[in-house]
Amino acid sequence: MFQFDRVALSDETQDLRAQVRAFIDENRAYLPRPNSDFVTGHDPEFSQKLGERGWIGMTWPAQYGGGERSNFERLVVTEELLSAGAPVSAHWIADRQSGPLLLRFGTPEQRQRYLPGIIRGERFFSIGMSEPDTGSDLASVRTSATAEGDAYRINGTKVWTTDAHRNHFIICLVRTAAQTENRHAGLSQIIVDLKNDGVKIRPIRNMAGGEDFNEVVFEDVLVPKNRIVGEPGNGWQQVTSELAYERSGPERFLSAYRVFAELIRLCGDSPAPHQAAAIGRLAGHFMTLRRMSLSVAGMLEAGKDVVVEAALVKELGNNFEKLVPEVARLAVPDIAHTDAAALGLFRQTFDETMLLSPSFTLRGGTREILRGVIARSLGLR
Amino acid sequence: MDTETLIIESAERIFSDHVDKALLDKCEQGAFAEALWQQIVDQGFHLLGSPDSGTEAADLFAFLKICGRFAVPLPMAEVLLANRWMAAKDSVLRSIGIQHNGGVIDIAWSSHAEWILAVSPDSRIVELHPGQAAQEGLANLAGEPRGSIAPPALVQGMLEVEDAPYAQLALARTCLMAGTLQAVLDLGLQFASERRQFGRTISKFQAIQHSLAVVAAEVAAAQRAADAGIDALSSERFLYEVAAAKARVGEAVGIVAEQVHQVHGAMGFTYEHRLHHFTRRLWAWRDEWGSEFYWQQILGQQFAALGADRAWDFIATKG
Repeated sequence: MFQFDRVALSDETQDLRAQVRAFIDENRAYLPRPNSDFVTGHDPEFSQKLGERGWIGMTWPAQYGGGERSNFERLVVTEELLSAGAPVSAHWIADRQSGPLLLRFGTPEQRQRYLPGIIRGERFFSIGMSEPDTGSDLASVRTSATAEGDAYRINGTKVWTTDAHRNHFIICLVRTAAQTENRHAGLSQIIVDLKNDGVKIRPIRNMAGGEDFNEVVFEDVLVPKNRIVGEPGNGWQQVTSELAYERSGPERFLSAYRVFAELIRLCGDSPAPHQAAAIGRLAGHFMTLRRMSLSVAGMLEAGKDVVVEAALVKELGNNFEKLVPEVARLAVPDIAHTDAAALGLFRQTFDETMLLSPSFTLRGGTREILRGVIARSLGLR
Repeated sequence: MDTETLIIESAERIFSDHVDKALLDKCEQGAFAEALWQQIVDQGFHLLGSPDSGTEAADLFAFLKICGRFAVPLPMAEVLLANRWMAAKDSVLRSIGIQHNGGVIDIAWSSHAEWILAVSPDSRIVELHPGQAAQEGLANLAGEPRGSIAPPALVQGMLEVEDAPYAQLALARTCLMAGTLQAVLDLGLQFASERRQFGRTISKFQAIQHSLAVVAAEVAAAQRAADAGIDALSSERFLYEVAAAKARVGEAVGIVAEQVHQVHGAMGFTYEHRLHHFTRRLWAWRDEWGSEFYWQQILGQQFAALGADRAWDFIATKG
């Protein structure tokens, strides 16, 4: 039914893997993060270093400074960085989806204006989709962009906007025409400078104690008309294709990778049978998920639509990210009453992953929405 | 069209003509699927992957996925692997069991086998036994016959197999399960789109849609995991790729069988419905030739030996 084809990486691509590992070795000072989750480390300096290596915007056209490399090469770079726990969140969204969105739907002027900065690791983007009254029901967004001469006047509120307080731009899903029978009509995407007058950003503390996501309020924010991405009114179609990029990557199963690595370290080279089984169970999942994610890269490379496959990989990947701490905690001896020093980095990675875990099946589309996407492709709705 | 596609298409044709609920019921009563076996022999399917057959080991395992999809009531995994190891060219039925305290146990279709090969989990040496010594009597959870040879079993020969034979059998079960999982998903989709309650087909209920979405995701993962096991034949990673595949697919079995039975309601719990021929096989096969726990331990020990800092390399080295 769903075909996840085999992919064999070329020697060249494997050489690139070695280069990324050497780079990580040279930059140990930025590592390790306690967690491999892509939202846990926002480090512009590290992003700039990646930009210098040509590892941001890798697949994009050379005319903007892109590397014109394959999706496989991009996957190798991203999975190596994530599994090492590198701080990649500053450029992550721009590289993963804002850039590709502009390449697909943006004007030449927009590409020229934004892509080179993204590629250098100097310009960072956020995504403005959810609102206080709009979560999974994305078509109900109320933030409005009203045409006024050469500008749009934006009013409304976005929430859960990761790194809005640290990034430069946000691409917002806004209503440019009043709602009609067709709920998906009248929506557009527009680029807003987060330093603009009238943009108020308030970090929202999460249950893990972090302040990564925000509420972003737009009060009469004036944005030049040429910041609309794609055709006005085409926002729904654009957002749907953008979400496939957001859902299909290795970050959807690697968030808990460091817990797995520290579990191996803690259990040592002669683990008890139940410890070996716990490690082996997780390893088998990683091996399978990684191959599925490689298959998706192959589909992207072939220019195929990956909306459903992305939903499948995210569904499996998110379930697995949540399984990792559950399996790991039962494999280590008396986690609550063992000296923290004896548990080493395991304690830290476990705690952070456990606390972040509720977000895994929410961000980028809830489990419920993804299952709906899969069910539709099965002909059930 | 490549060889594998040709094999798959003609196997699908033959199995859709010959394997139905009535045959599966009869075989569970103890009948031998004679006509089906004859068709398989006529097509040369029983020699897939054997030396000189013009086909590869990968074709053998791809064929087993189709066998699983139709719940073919013959010991095709054992026949094919035994023929491959013995470089057979004839149509003799050979089966396989496990060496156990000087005897052989869990031999599939033992009373129909002219030769029985006995493997052990940690040896490449396979023992050959004459089939006549075997007794019938037992069956697995799916009602597939399982016989034994009482100790001391007379060993009539030995042969050495390249890829660990126990792991090859585990991979064979993995491929059978991958195919059967696909069939179970299809049954669930079909039932949900036909069964009406509250004035509409139950496929319109979100709870059912989400169950089947979970099933579809597990089935997709199972296919990818099984393929990775096949791809590792003759490589130094074979044991570990089989370990990952058998354990992952076994985990999918638990989820898929549970969900699809729930979708079928009481109907799927009857003997009259065909669903149980598939789900009972899944439950039997996930335990045979090493359960999830067995293979997870093997894989986990490998990762422990590699250590935390080389684990990722092992995961990412092979596409």
